[in-house]
Amino acid sequence: MKYQHSDAVGDFFASDHLRYSPVAFSFERFCRGLALPSALCLTMLFLPVQESVAAEHQIEMAAEQLEDGVLAYRMVEHKVDKVNITSRYSKQATVPGPTIVLTEGDKVRLTIRNGITMSPDQQVSVHVHGVHYNILSDGSLKIINKIDNEGAYPDHGGHFYTYIWDVAPGTAGTWPYHDHNFETHNGAEDRGLYGAVIVNPASGTVTASNGSSISNVPIASIKKDYVLYLSDDAFWGMEIDGATRQQTPLGANPLLSANSGDNVRFHLIAMGTYLNRFQLEGYQWVDPGTTRLINSKDIGPLENHAFTIKALGSANYMNANFSRKLMGMKGSFVVTQ
Amino acid sequence: MNKIILGLKTASAKAIAFALLTASLLASQVALAAVHNISLTAEVLPNGQYGYKRGDKAVIPGPTLFVKQGDTVIVTVTNNTDKPAGFKVPGLSAASAAQAAPNGGTLSYTFTATRTGAYPYYGEGQQLLGLFGAVVVDRADGKAESFVDGDGAVKSVRTSDLSKQFVLFMVGSTFWATEISKTGIETPLWTNPTLGAMENDVVRFHVLSIGPGHTFHLHAHRWLEQGTTSVIDTRLMADVADSHTFTVKAGTGVGAGDWQYHCHLFSHMEAGMHGSFKVYSTKGPNQGTGNSIAGASPYGAIFGNTSTDAGLVTFVISDEPGMWFRSARSETIFSVTGSTRSLEVIPPGSSVNFIMADTNTVHTMTSLLWPSGAGNPSNGHHSNNGNGKSRGRGTAITEHASMPFDQTRAYKGGGIVKLTTPGLYVFTCKVHPYMFGAVIVDDPDTEGLDLGDTINLATGIVNLPTSSDLATRLLRTFFIATAPNNWQNFSSPAPWKITYPGVPVRITGGAVANLSDVLTARYGNDMVLTPQFSPAVPGVGEVWVDTQFEKTAGKTKPGTITVVDTSNWKVSRKIALPQINMNNPHNMWTNRDQSVVYQTQWFDNKLTLINQKTGALIKNIRVGEAPAHVMTRPDNDDITVTNNGEDGISLIPAGTTEVSQMLPTQKSGQQATNPHGHWISADGTQVVTPNIFTNDVGFYDLNSGAILERTPTGENAPGAHPIAIAMMPDSSKYYAANLLHHSVSVLDRNGALKKTINLIADYNPIDGTIQDRDGDGQATVGILPIQLPVSPDGRSVVVANMGESIIVIDTLTDRVAKMLPCDAGCHGANFGAKKGGGYYAYVTSKFSNELIVVDPDPNNDGNLSDAMIAGRIPLVSDSSVPSDDQVSSLAGYGGQGVLAIPNVYNSWVKNLPGEWKEQLTAAQQDPSLR
Repeated sequence: MKYQHSDAVGDFFASDHLRYSPVAFSFERFCRGLALPSALCLTMLFLPVQESVAAEHQIEMAAEQLEDGVLAYRMVEHKVDKVNITSRYSKQATVPGPTIVLTEGDKVRLTIRNGITMSPDQQVSVHVHGVHYNILSDGSLKIINKIDNEGAYPDHGGHFYTYIWDVAPGTAGTWPYHDHNFETHNGAEDRGLYGAVIVNPASGTVTASNGSSISNVPIASIKKDYVLYLSDDAFWGMEIDGATRQQTPLGANPLLSANSGDNVRFHLIAMGTYLNRFQLEGYQWVDPGTTRLINSKDIGPLENHAFTIKALGSANYMNANFSRKLMGMKGSFVVTQ
Repeated sequence: MNKIILGLKTASAKAIAFALLTASLLASQVALAAVHNISLTAEVLPNGQYGYKRGDKAVIPGPTLFVKQGDTVIVTVTNNTDKPAGFKVPGLSAASAAQAAPNGGTLSYTFTATRTGAYPYYGEGQQLLGLFGAVVVDRADGKAESFVDGDGAVKSVRTSDLSKQFVLFMVGSTFWATEISKTGIETPLWTNPTLGAMENDVVRFHVLSIGPGHTFHLHAHRWLEQGTTSVIDTRLMADVADSHTFTVKAGTGVGAGDWQYHCHLFSHMEAGMHGSFKVYSTKGPNQGTGNSIAGASPYGAIFGNTSTDAGLVTFVISDEPGMWFRSARSETIFSVTGSTRSLEVIPPGSSVNFIMADTNTVHTMTSLLWPSGAGNPSNGHHSNNGNGKSRGRGTAITEHASMPFDQTRAYKGGGIVKLTTPGLYVFTCKVHPYMFGAVIVDDPDTEGLDLGDTINLATGIVNLPTSSDLATRLLRTFFIATAPNNWQNFSSPAPWKITYPGVPVRITGGAVANLSDVLTARYGNDMVLTPQFSPAVPGVGEVWVDTQFEKTAGKTKPGTITVVDTSNWKVSRKIALPQINMNNPHNMWTNRDQSVVYQTQWFDNKLTLINQKTGALIKNIRVGEAPAHVMTRPDNDDITVTNNGEDGISLIPAGTTEVSQMLPTQKSGQQATNPHGHWISADGTQVVTPNIFTNDVGFYDLNSGAILERTPTGENAPGAHPIAIAMMPDSSKYYAANLLHHSVSVLDRNGALKKTINLIADYNPIDGTIQDRDGDGQATVGILPIQLPVSPDGRSVVVANMGESIIVIDTLTDRVAKMLPCDAGCHGANFGAKKGGGYYAYVTSKFSNELIVVDPDPNNDGNLSDAMIAGRIPLVSDSSVPSDDQVSSLAGYGGQGVLAIPNVYNSWVKNLPGEWKEQLTAAQQDPSLR
């Protein structure tokens, strides 16, 4: 029983962990576990849902060990309303981890497995920013949340942990997810256990800049999404094709490519200890939540910054922090005319 | 109205709306503008920190000043501290800071609250120690920041709707908090408190920062970025000073729970920068009253201050010699110890706060040793994945596994840690490993100060009795390193007296002994120093010594270069460079023609170029944090500098004065290596680094930047701390000194580990006896090895050991050939030419003011058993010595980097200009001829 999830709050998670089944999804049992009146708990979990677009996501991910001591997440399975979309993801664990694309109103049930066998007594977890979840889905250790160690031990023994996210209205944006439990309550986000969640607005449009003016463009018009994680020593990239939704890991300081005139969306998230200054030379984009055009953005660890631009010409992107720039934190955005 | 504006699309409509808004605000300002007269005093708190007072006691943060937009505020401050105290609100006024003189001086500062929001006020100079607080400027119309509800709706809020407000200052790596109730009652919550609220309470946060930057993150809550419609959950707090106000509905959409708030800079997380936003419900597991719980306080229980509350002692991290971890109440501590200012005493359950308030570079706050019971026995050991990537941190699954305390990257900020297990804790900086701070956690119910039964060391040694020789030797090292009045002064005829605290301590088995008596009995005291003398045979050229701790009148930072003329063994120049406030000069090298000396500033981020003939400043170049060693490529004269505070080597092409790139010393995504004393291969194409944070030696191709090899050293000890590299003249072998593993690693040119020479094989750490245990016929010991150059002819390795010995290794056998005595804090070593043939090793010591000249082979017969000390040269100058500044204190101390000019190492000697070459013998000009 060593690696089984402790049953601190009732039978929901304990039984769930032993007999995981995509349909065994009972909020009533969950609420009983929390010792809350069902009505109150359900209210908490099902805040106004836009019935027409809401999707239910069943996601299973694994944390694994790559060469050189790097840890990473891998998508094991992703079903949206029972349709399997796992083929969109890399078959290997990647840095950044799989990009989980959601829409305001969606529900997510995400299970983490731990394939990091070098530390059999260490958990990994998924702590997500931005979306709603109750304290059992915080993905933190008991010394932080005072309830439970909310992660998975290495899974020889079938151990895993399941989180429930409510992608409520008002959570649109690009958010990080990361480990919070490996070795200490700070987790191993600095060792590669991080990824991005993109919550598209229910409106189906985002603000975009064509270099001089601002307009709303349909998300469906975005040809490419670039996830760029500013880790302490490199940009780590992931590209998502707008048409196929296929995700391609791009590695460190990648070359980003686009066709002239395409709408492309950048998703920047910082991670680590340095403060960063992002620049994309020659471009101006919308400072989120404003009508200002900017050409430089200071981004601190776990801040996010997403913007959509019309690709017009090739440019260099970089982190203008003194030593990070010297370390080579820069890359090319190549626009084919 | 504000919401309407944000929703408008056309510029003209916006302009009209803005005009209307401005008009209405102006009207209300005229109607409501008030003048506030606020009297504050600046006070010293029981733990030595500072605070502003308005009411019964000084608090950190200072009193929150609530005003309305348009109000005028007149602040007077009376200074009851011993330091100048200031006041300014840079977010609201361009006026320069007002200053109040120490001990009763006053100041007055007037500003108008032109903009809404929270703004830090602070006193320049002491702001990182507590002289800060918030001005909150509310809108005249009573509105506060809107919150984002669980259904995504943005709800407008009036200040009268607020259940409570929190002011949360991020300073160093500690949160300082205060709570303002609905009725305006302010309650200090001190450090990293639990912020309480009832579910669905509307709570306003004022997050502010002073000093190095942060990101503020609160779990499971979202809010609006000020002045935008952007929903965020993490906010950058920029360097110097920043502020951010937002409102949340506690638990909306997520429910009750202990929601963590923390800084999201990884090193700050590791340094303890977090607390809980506890959202209570009316029933269920999170049932409660919504009350906050204060954290450790400067008024709580610490040595000399009885209280039932958890106390807080604070160490100021400083560039100042011997006071690198200076207690904020340093004079109180000094009056008790008579020596160190870096020791604190607290009862179990109180906390230790670190603040990098007096330093120009990055550091870590790392456990060197701790009571065995304070780590978690099953998880507390360092993990090592076999790739040199170890992490010196314990699990935190168990509540008490707070040790070892460590951070993965060096950083700016501070740290905070609660200590619960009685016993001795010593903290160090991994970048600058002689920075020490010690804390005794003393159970008040036992006799004597508790050192504990046993300690664990960062190197993996566990359960070492506190009565052991190694434990008391480390204590002695601590009392010498951290107390300049305990340093060896060779310019005085007085014997060397070490002042230890004469306090009873409780050690292994509960025995109680007087600490001073124990250390004196074991290691002596009032020792007569060895007389100084000059070598019989002169050297060639000059020896440049980084007297890193010597203070001069024209600058605030320590450190000079002392130049010794080897023709007469006299100090010929002192170089302080007051115009750049040269800070802790650590290591040097020269260009090919020896006309320019390159100097690193280890507690800063600069490389300094100095004219060799005149000592004049040529240029000060930013290179990276904590630049440690500098060396040129013999093939092209390019400059390489290890950035000890970062993760790479700065490259400066010959003839230029700007860093062209930083060569990464690890692959992207791997742990930062933080290299220290590197060496460059004979052909100039490879650089070999001792990677301190990852405990390995790295081999890198300087042309391609490729990582060729990473070889763990120290027999997989978790904290071997490789610190310096040396090389055979033909690059056939490399040597690495493992500071905390007391060993020398021998590697071949490809990075394969050939041998580990254990320098403490003959030493018994329990009883301290030194006898031949490794069967080499000698009893030798080299504790804490640092620099270890190989002689230019490749015959000997001279190892300077901080544990007051010099070890000479024979490169033919890679065995210890000889041990010689050294001074306190023995540190630097480098070779120069001896006139007429042969070489001298010049050895420096941090805590003495002399240079030791070692002749490893006086009769030049290749047998090193006659290695000897050839001379002891004073580094103290008199007024006749040319200097660019006046020595003010710590004369001649701090000997670290040392460089002989001409540079006679094999590959470099070949490039010397004629004027230097002609002073060398043929064998010295080409050591491979030998």
